[in-house]
Amino acid sequence: MASIELRHVSKHWGPTIAVDRMNLTLEDGEFVAILGPSGCGKSTTLFLLAGIYAPTEGDICFEGARINDVEPRDRNVGIVFQSYALYPNMTVLKNLLFPLRFKNTSNEDAHARAMEIAELVQIEDLLEREPSQLSGGQQQRVALARALIKKPNLLLLDEPLSNLDATLRLTMRSEIKRIQRELAVTTILVTHDQVEATTMADRIICMKDGQIEQVDTAENLYRRPDRIFVASFVGSPPINLVQGRIDKTMLVAGQRRLPVSGNTVSTNVTIGLRPELISTGEQGLPASIVNIEPMGREILYAAQSEIGLLRFLEATPQPRLALEEHVHLKADPGDVLFFDTGSGQRIEGVRLDAFS
Amino acid sequence: MALTQRDWNVLARRSRNIRHVQMGLLVGFLTIVSIPVVLPFFWVFVISFSARTGGVESAVLWRACGVLVPAVVAYVVVHLTFDSIRKRLFGAAVLILLVMIGLIVTVGKDLHLHNYRFLANANLIEDLRGAATAGGQFPWVWEAFVNSLLVAASSTLFKVSIATVCGYYLSRFAFYGRSAFLQTLLILEVFHPWMLTIPIFLVIYWIGLLNNLAGPILVLTVIDLPFFIFIMKGFFDAVPWDIEMSAMTDGASRRQAFRHVVLPQVWAGIIAISVLGFIRGWEEYVFVTALRTGNSYWVMSTYLYYVADDVMGVDYGVVAAVSVFYMAPSLLLYMFLQRNLTQLTLGGIKG
Amino acid sequence: MMHKQRQRQAVNALIFLGPACIFLLVLLVAPIIVDLVVAFTDMAQTVRVSEFSNEQFRKIIRPNEDTWLGFELRGSFYRALAKTAIFVVFTLTIFNVTFGLLLALTTTALPDWLGGTFRAIWLLPRMSPSVVYALLWIWVIDPTERGLLNQVLINVFGFGPINLFIDHPMAIIVVANGFIGASIGMLILTSAIRSIPQHLFFAARADGAGPLSIVRHIILPTLRWPLSYITVFQSLALMVSFEYIFLIMGPARSTMTMAMLAYTKTLAPQIGSGQYAYGAAITLILIIIGVIVALLLYRLTNMKRLLAKPRIEVH
Ligand SMILES: Nc1ncnc2c1ncn2[C@@H]1O[C@H](COP(=O)(O)OP(=O)(O)O)[C@@H](O)[C@H]1O
Ligand SMILES: [Mg+2]
Repeated sequence: MASIELRHVSKHWGPTIAVDRMNLTLEDGEFVAILGPSGCGKSTTLFLLAGIYAPTEGDICFEGARINDVEPRDRNVGIVFQSYALYPNMTVLKNLLFPLRFKNTSNEDAHARAMEIAELVQIEDLLEREPSQLSGGQQQRVALARALIKKPNLLLLDEPLSNLDATLRLTMRSEIKRIQRELAVTTILVTHDQVEATTMADRIICMKDGQIEQVDTAENLYRRPDRIFVASFVGSPPINLVQGRIDKTMLVAGQRRLPVSGNTVSTNVTIGLRPELISTGEQGLPASIVNIEPMGREILYAAQSEIGLLRFLEATPQPRLALEEHVHLKADPGDVLFFDTGSGQRIEGVRLDAFS
Repeated sequence: MALTQRDWNVLARRSRNIRHVQMGLLVGFLTIVSIPVVLPFFWVFVISFSARTGGVESAVLWRACGVLVPAVVAYVVVHLTFDSIRKRLFGAAVLILLVMIGLIVTVGKDLHLHNYRFLANANLIEDLRGAATAGGQFPWVWEAFVNSLLVAASSTLFKVSIATVCGYYLSRFAFYGRSAFLQTLLILEVFHPWMLTIPIFLVIYWIGLLNNLAGPILVLTVIDLPFFIFIMKGFFDAVPWDIEMSAMTDGASRRQAFRHVVLPQVWAGIIAISVLGFIRGWEEYVFVTALRTGNSYWVMSTYLYYVADDVMGVDYGVVAAVSVFYMAPSLLLYMFLQRNLTQLTLGGIKG
Repeated sequence: MMHKQRQRQAVNALIFLGPACIFLLVLLVAPIIVDLVVAFTDMAQTVRVSEFSNEQFRKIIRPNEDTWLGFELRGSFYRALAKTAIFVVFTLTIFNVTFGLLLALTTTALPDWLGGTFRAIWLLPRMSPSVVYALLWIWVIDPTERGLLNQVLINVFGFGPINLFIDHPMAIIVVANGFIGASIGMLILTSAIRSIPQHLFFAARADGAGPLSIVRHIILPTLRWPLSYITVFQSLALMVSFEYIFLIMGPARSTMTMAMLAYTKTLAPQIGSGQYAYGAAITLILIIIGVIVALLLYRLTNMKRLLAKPRIEVH
């Protein structure tokens, strides 16, 4: 399939607006992730693409043709639900064969196809089991196999890993990625977990309240977030955000004034600086340590400075700094991001001259 | 499998057509099977407001249907074409106005309240027949109304409070003999008092409550009691344990926790079984007649039964008016609390 | 301490279970036992027992060496048994099960407001008082041209009038009870269909299943339990119910089922002749059938869930 397009698509549930005037284009064979907090309309977007929900307004197009009215059965879309939705009264094999019932596939072909797909997702031994006799990871594989068996043009995965435990999640992450690459099927993965999105997808769609905030690669979402929401949602531990205002050539934040260059019409700004880009040194912004959180191989410090509370990371196994210790915080001024506080939009033309 | 734009358009058109045909078939089927259910109710309603002594005004019924049926169809069309609530309400308002005008024009001059004079006239039936009836004891309708209210309300009160405390205890307490009790209850559920009319009559007779309203009240309390206990147990089972545990950690006793924390969680269930219980008590006929000899007390069901028996063929209008008056409380209660009723499932016994 | 807790537990049991136990014992368990005794007496209008005998059962069966069992049913009881069987089987299969299922399937396939409206309409008969419902039926099937049915037949279909009371009395009670039975089936099945996870329907649609395949592969398999519940439970309810039959047909021989027979011989207003022992004997047969149904229901019930232990041990 050449392309899938959403044009100005909205979905309302009475007063709730689950998806709000969304525009999106997907390329053939692409693996994209929809990332956003729960309740932001990710599943609704998937169900709109699958044809399970009809859009309130806007057009869904496959290859340029408007397909709003086309039934799910004619769209050739495979979907894996968060709850897996395996048919409880059928064995694994029957579950796999179910989509082929409606495709005029001969019995031998269907069985051959089922064996093939079972091998791909490694469930050959489970074919005679009932879904209730399967573990979470096994159910997940069966659901994936059932979605893939009809050779879909589009594969939709709705939080497929959220019900698995941590180690299984790691395995399934690479499994899904492998299968996707092998079949080269256009895939949309819905998740609220940024690690899942960044490790698996070519592109990430970041959503909030039914609207797309930014569509970009993981790298760009991290380095050049378009909006405050994206900056705060992507990255762990979360980015430091400090409110301030621009007064001619100075940024006034807290009791401190920092020099800036460039032009902007915004006066109320929010600056963002990632914890991993801050370090300590002889000079810089004076601050005192107020909290220490060991995080395994790294230590997350919180320091109170004159511009506000800043968190930073240090890669030492044991805390090197003590509570109430005075330090100087260093950062490359170019790493500091500026956002308009009112609109949440990133401001391009301004940079900090010195971080001290 | 590359589909061209034309193919997609064909698919879209086919899907649209199939959807419309399916919708049409479903609505058509349900409408046709529902007509026999609604029409009789509408008919008594019409008769009660239009019949004059001696005759049944069927012309009024058909003319009123001629106005209402197109209006209902029109509303369905309005509802399906407009998505916004405001437009639907506007459409409904316009249609109601049109229906009003239509009804006034077509049947307006035939409508009257004369048949409802039994509400004010205590001796109506005697007047109608020109002779004493039912042993000359035929009461004023309000006496029967108050008795019915008493029977329905008190049996509901007993039944609901017993089912609530019992359901709570079964759901939340471990005690010796609990599973035996539950299994016995499951078996007792099968024995509907209808089946036991005769021995229940004997028991009430031996207790000495024959010809006393307490008889039907007590029996009505037992009707469906095991079923109600299971429903309430189901509702209590659905209340999270943490709520009660945290209340008790905060120092409440088990009984206080029940009153202040658990009970408010099951109001929906209590309302639902209260509605069912009241409607059941309001309609009771079998035990009301079985547990009296002669006419020691009157309730609405016996009142209507004897009115129909006495003046049927003489005055359909009055019989219809009494019927409408009698079923109004049940149906209003049902209409307003319908949402609560649909939450009921089969309680804890579901497999 | 131990003693005090025991005492508290006993008081709790008394408060919470006491009222239910008293009511159930006095008005449900005691009558069953009373019936068991009275069925073997000669109790009649005076409500006095002068001797114990199996006289009542001799009114129901008589010995006949030629038959396989060594006895045969007497005429009136045999007729009642046959009528009961016809009434129960037809009402149950046509209305409680089939029609209930059709209504549940169609109304849940519609948007909620529309399906809910149709369900509300079908619940009208059940929610309205039995005497009113029976009266409506009497008016609908009135054999003269005033009857609603005859009006429709004459004006719309151009034939009639018909007299159902004489021509098809069983049909009347089957349909009148059936409307109510269908609504019960509809309620139970609707709630069962509602409890199927939405995602299963979504998955089936995405897999290409049409409405009929969804009914067959997703819905029907989950309705197995509710359908057997309806069959078992409602067959008994129909067998013992006589209210609508009595109110619509009166003591007509043509619709005299077993429950009606017991009722009209004893307590029916104006016509009941107080043959309590005979009524009790028929009731005893119904009770025995009830016990069988209870055992079936017992097997259908998920005991593990019913008996799941509570988790707080404080009283
Ligand atoms: N079938 C529905 N009916 C009503 N509201 C819904 C329905 N499905 C989703 N919503 C609402 O739409 C919003 C988006 O839901 P969803 O797409 O499921 O979010 P996500 O998958 O991102 O967690 C939520 O506010 C949710 O409550
Ligand atoms: Mg979701």
